[in-house]
Amino acid sequence: MTGFVNPLAPRSSRLMAKSAEIKAWVRELMDLPDGTAVTVAELACRDEGCPDIETVIGILEEGRPIRTIRVHAAMADATRDAVAEAIGQGPGG
Amino acid sequence: MALPDRIPVFLLSGFLGSGKSTLLNELLAEPSFHDSAVVINEFGDVAIDHLLVRQGETAISQVSTGCLCCAGTTDLRATLFDLHCAASAKLAPAFSRVIVEMSGLGDPAPLVNALMADRHGAETLRDRTVDTVFYLAGFVTLYDIVTGGISIDRHFEAVKQIAFADRIVLTKTDLAKDPATLSDIAALPRELRLLNADARIYDRRDAELAALFAPRPYSVVERGEDVSGWLALEAALAAEELHGPASAGRDRLSRHTSGIRSFSIVHDATIPESRFLQFLSVLQQSAGQHLLRVKGIVGVAEEPESPRIVHAVQHSTSAPVRLDTWPDDDRRTRLVFITSGIDPEPVRALFSAVIGGAPSPFGRLLGGIGDAFAKPLSRISSYLTTTSRRSS
Repeated sequence: MTGFVNPLAPRSSRLMAKSAEIKAWVRELMDLPDGTAVTVAELACRDEGCPDIETVIGILEEGRPIRTIRVHAAMADATRDAVAEAIGQGPGG
Repeated sequence: MALPDRIPVFLLSGFLGSGKSTLLNELLAEPSFHDSAVVINEFGDVAIDHLLVRQGETAISQVSTGCLCCAGTTDLRATLFDLHCAASAKLAPAFSRVIVEMSGLGDPAPLVNALMADRHGAETLRDRTVDTVFYLAGFVTLYDIVTGGISIDRHFEAVKQIAFADRIVLTKTDLAKDPATLSDIAALPRELRLLNADARIYDRRDAELAALFAPRPYSVVERGEDVSGWLALEAALAAEELHGPASAGRDRLSRHTSGIRSFSIVHDATIPESRFLQFLSVLQQSAGQHLLRVKGIVGVAEEPESPRIVHAVQHSTSAPVRLDTWPDDDRRTRLVFITSGIDPEPVRALFSAVIGGAPSPFGRLLGGIGDAFAKPLSRISSYLTTTSRRSS
């Protein structure tokens, strides 16, 4: 047995936990100020040659249009490297 | 009655098979809800849900077999405008509320945006009418205690449906009998609060349905940062879709993975009920969680005038419900399947084989449903062979 699992602990959705992880990566990689909100969603990808589903990240800065970053992977499969690469490619991923 | 100046709109959501149609039926049976207009949205190419919802004399049912959330905000607004025009012209009964039963795979963000007047430049008569008359007055999400945990772990739509709700109703709680399950149910509100801190949570057994659909202010801010972010992102993506440089020739925004699909089976002749249940059982055993939903109406050989309503969700099947009569003129068996990663052809072939009783290579048929289901094949094949021998 490698660790104690509290059976009474609330069980969060794996997808929401992953969403929180992606938000933290984006904040760190883009060095976003605290007041900037980050949102993460999953949508079907419309581009040929891409995986069926993509993770869309929105950066909501006060007084500016929302910036979107597209990671060509399902949320569950998105890695820090993939997010960093998408950020490097600028708007639209 | 005359049309009210302001009409509340309630969104009713819940992942596939969570009991939306059942709840809606119960609600519409209450006399105080006979003056409701109902918009039923399905994900599928054959409309079934409207047959499963009782339509009182004053209820209006508009059915879309597209997916409102994929079609964008305009379809819901167009539907509301049509309802208003028909009632204003006395071509349809007046109504004092609208209940939108969302697709089980529905993404709430575009629909909530559609009902937020401040998000639209009311340039057309339709927009001005919808913004002036209709307002979002509540968002009710059903959470199936049997399959809900799997749904929110695997499907982002299910997470959003919980997060957007201002009322959450735990359904199928009547199935829980043993102390361990009852204890699990007691812990559910704490788990759901991680996704939605402020929604009121009810047990279906003692929820007062009329109160769930009483108009109240729906506040996006109270739903939390994620909901506000999803709405803003949705609006940005919709604008990008509409005005972006690459918008020409693109399909409308799709919110479901291409692995999720819907298909139907329509069968003219009546079916021995036991054979139909055998087909459903075999399909569920082989497809498991990839079979997101089966619903439909079945003409049974034993009682051709009394069809059965069937529901199945993943591994769980409800007992078929006997109707006294067919709900419309169409006497055919109509089944809708919503699946993840399962093609229609092997399911149709399995249906023909089991229902038709023709000799069939069951192993190959079930194998076609998907590679992931290889293990149970030999067991099921052997079961079917034995059953066929006994019945012949």
